[in-house]
Amino acid sequence: MVHPKGDMATKSAAKGDLKAGREPATDQEQKALLKKRADRRSRWIWRLAGYVFFIGIWQFSSTYLVEDFILPPPLTILETMQEIVTSGLLVTHFGATLEKIAIGFSLAFIIGAFIGILMGMNRWWEAFFSDWVLILMTTPGLIFVLVSTMVFGLSYIGPIVAVVITGFPYVAVNLVEGVKAAPKDLTDMARSYNVSRARLIRHVIIPFLAPFIFTAIRYGFSIAWKVATLTEVIGGNEGIGFMMRREFQSFSMAGFLSWALLFFAFALFLERIVLQRQIDRFFRWRPEVTS
Amino acid sequence: MPRGLRRFWRSTRTARAISIVSFLVGWQLLIPLLPTALIPTPFEVGEFMWAELRADTLAPETVYQAFATSLRRLVTGFGIALLIGIPIGLLMGLFKRVEEFLHDFVVVGLAMPSLVWALIAAMWFGFVERSSIITVILASVTFVIINVSEGVRAVPKDLLDMGRAYGTSDLHRVRHVVLPSLMPFLFASLRYGLANGWKGLVLAEIYASTSGAGWTIRFWYDARRAQGVIGYALFFMIFALLAERLVFRRLSDRVFRWRPSQDQPPPEAEGSVQVNI
Amino acid sequence: MASIKVQSLRKEFVTSDSTVVALENASFEASGHVFVSIVGPSGCGKSTLLNILSGIETPTSGIAEITEGDKKARNGYVFQAARLLPWRTVMDNLLFVQKDRDAETRERCQRYLEMVDLGHTANKYPGQLSGGMQQRVGIARAFSIEPDVLLMDEPFSHLDAITGRSLRKELHHIWMETRKTVLFVTHDVGEAVELSNRMVIFGQGGRLREDMKIDLPFPRDPADDAVALTKANVLRTFEELDLVAS
Repeated sequence: MVHPKGDMATKSAAKGDLKAGREPATDQEQKALLKKRADRRSRWIWRLAGYVFFIGIWQFSSTYLVEDFILPPPLTILETMQEIVTSGLLVTHFGATLEKIAIGFSLAFIIGAFIGILMGMNRWWEAFFSDWVLILMTTPGLIFVLVSTMVFGLSYIGPIVAVVITGFPYVAVNLVEGVKAAPKDLTDMARSYNVSRARLIRHVIIPFLAPFIFTAIRYGFSIAWKVATLTEVIGGNEGIGFMMRREFQSFSMAGFLSWALLFFAFALFLERIVLQRQIDRFFRWRPEVTS
Repeated sequence: MPRGLRRFWRSTRTARAISIVSFLVGWQLLIPLLPTALIPTPFEVGEFMWAELRADTLAPETVYQAFATSLRRLVTGFGIALLIGIPIGLLMGLFKRVEEFLHDFVVVGLAMPSLVWALIAAMWFGFVERSSIITVILASVTFVIINVSEGVRAVPKDLLDMGRAYGTSDLHRVRHVVLPSLMPFLFASLRYGLANGWKGLVLAEIYASTSGAGWTIRFWYDARRAQGVIGYALFFMIFALLAERLVFRRLSDRVFRWRPSQDQPPPEAEGSVQVNI
Repeated sequence: MASIKVQSLRKEFVTSDSTVVALENASFEASGHVFVSIVGPSGCGKSTLLNILSGIETPTSGIAEITEGDKKARNGYVFQAARLLPWRTVMDNLLFVQKDRDAETRERCQRYLEMVDLGHTANKYPGQLSGGMQQRVGIARAFSIEPDVLLMDEPFSHLDAITGRSLRKELHHIWMETRKTVLFVTHDVGEAVELSNRMVIFGQGGRLREDMKIDLPFPRDPADDAVALTKANVLRTFEELDLVAS
């Protein structure tokens, strides 16, 4: 059972071509290298074809099929995006949203990690928390956004509370799995050699839990984004969500799509580039996986 | 402490009960600390929910009608998403070219907040039934696609070869090898797709509908009736829990009968029990 | 001189619905430069005995201790699977079990890596080594703490026959050189005859059934008549004791 995102995480973490750049020694290796290159080329061609196809459809339908206010052409969106960036609106509103996420998610991570470890180590605590964790994960974030907006009004605390409540179960669930799967063979080995507890945690437990922690961060982070924006859509006076609501209320499809795409691009950038770099650094020890 | 009592405290059922009680007590204690007078006590919320369950309500729709409407939209939308997603997923899993062609767009669809789908659908179609259903489709179809295509790629080639070596028919192999190995993936698409579709649906109902559970929660929100919002929030949770217990768990137990039981791990696997969350 | 003492040892595992006895009234002693093989069918509590001696598990009753003079001895444990930390380099894996991590310790670790011919892999990750090489790292790790006693739990059973054979030769060589006390668990009678000068046989339910000396000159070649004969004799004893899994 693949949760799509988790799966992609491991795949991309396992990438990294150790063989690239080495001189091919034999004829066979040379052939394999050539084939690899051809494969890579065709992959990019098909990928590119995908982009051309979709943007073509978009351009075509906005020119011939529907009015501009329903689907503005790609170029208009680009122009609007550029306007948002150059006017400084981007920095103001992204900053406002990011701040809420940073505070909310840090709290969510601490709480989630604590509960997750407790649940993983003890069946009683697992029973105590498991229903709530399940409920919090399956309830639409909107609910918590509405309740926290009602309780805290437009103040700063509301969004953060919403982010914490929706984010921590994801952290907890991932850590439960990690703690439960703890490598008994390695901890036993350490015990037979009288390795100290601090060293055990640093060299065995943390490296083992790392993938679970990264998955937790990934999930929790993407939830935090969505909930933080949602609080702004429901009742905020700054932030990405607030701008999206403004464009929505004035029926400006171009403005709305621009903000949505910028939001999306930025989230993707943080997740794929910033976080991925950390993950890759951490997983240097993994042997190359050939697909 | 006598042994029976200790066992009672240690049992997981007791843990569950204590967890519910402490939640209610914590809530009651928290109310005076909150910066608003709007928040009701658990009792008030209970009263509201009981009235709703007796179909005695100020809202235009009873809780039964509201959830029935939403459920209908969810099922319709997800049904269409399956019809679209399964063929695309099969193609992506079978042909590398198709996968390369579509991959990035599917990923975008997976990661896009359902809020964006809901608002786009609202802007496009306005206050009509279609907006909600299309939101469900957009929010769930990529989950179907990605899981089906992963599933196709995970079909065990060695077992297919084994089947071929024994001269079984194509149909036989599809039924006994391909489908069973696809099941976990279809199941995952059902679970994640429905969850995400449901989230999108509620938002779509808030912004582009005049009926359904999402719209009713907005009704209470606009009326500043907190017990309505919280009561409905609890209805949502109960709904999700029922869906998990009555539908998903049963379905998964049935589909995965062949798997070793998760409740009784083999002795050597002590401490590595699967999580049932 | 290290000495191993096991007396009336009993170990039970309690699961939710039953109690399994892994060891029952086991007693034996060993000390000095000996190579003791513990042989028996699967599930006879051989590995449990090593786990208790190494401190991973605690006995239900009885005594199991390894002493050096009058203090607790240091044990080097070689497991069935190498049990290396996949996220640490080979050198860091050796350093992981050391008390200190100074230059001298590093040098010692390097020396023991060279002893198993793996000096060049110090900066590699275990995932980049073959199964046999990983097992050799495990052996180097056990020696690198300069143990008083070496505990080995079927260390060659996961390897192919050829690799296993060359590692057995290597192990015998190291044992002759370092003169350690070795406790070697295996289910392979041939391996036990080839390596050890004493053999302790366990039966089902963790009962000690036989304790015999093997007085053959080293090095022993499995194809050698005397070695093959001893192996056949031991196997016959197995049958007489009704130890062969039915």
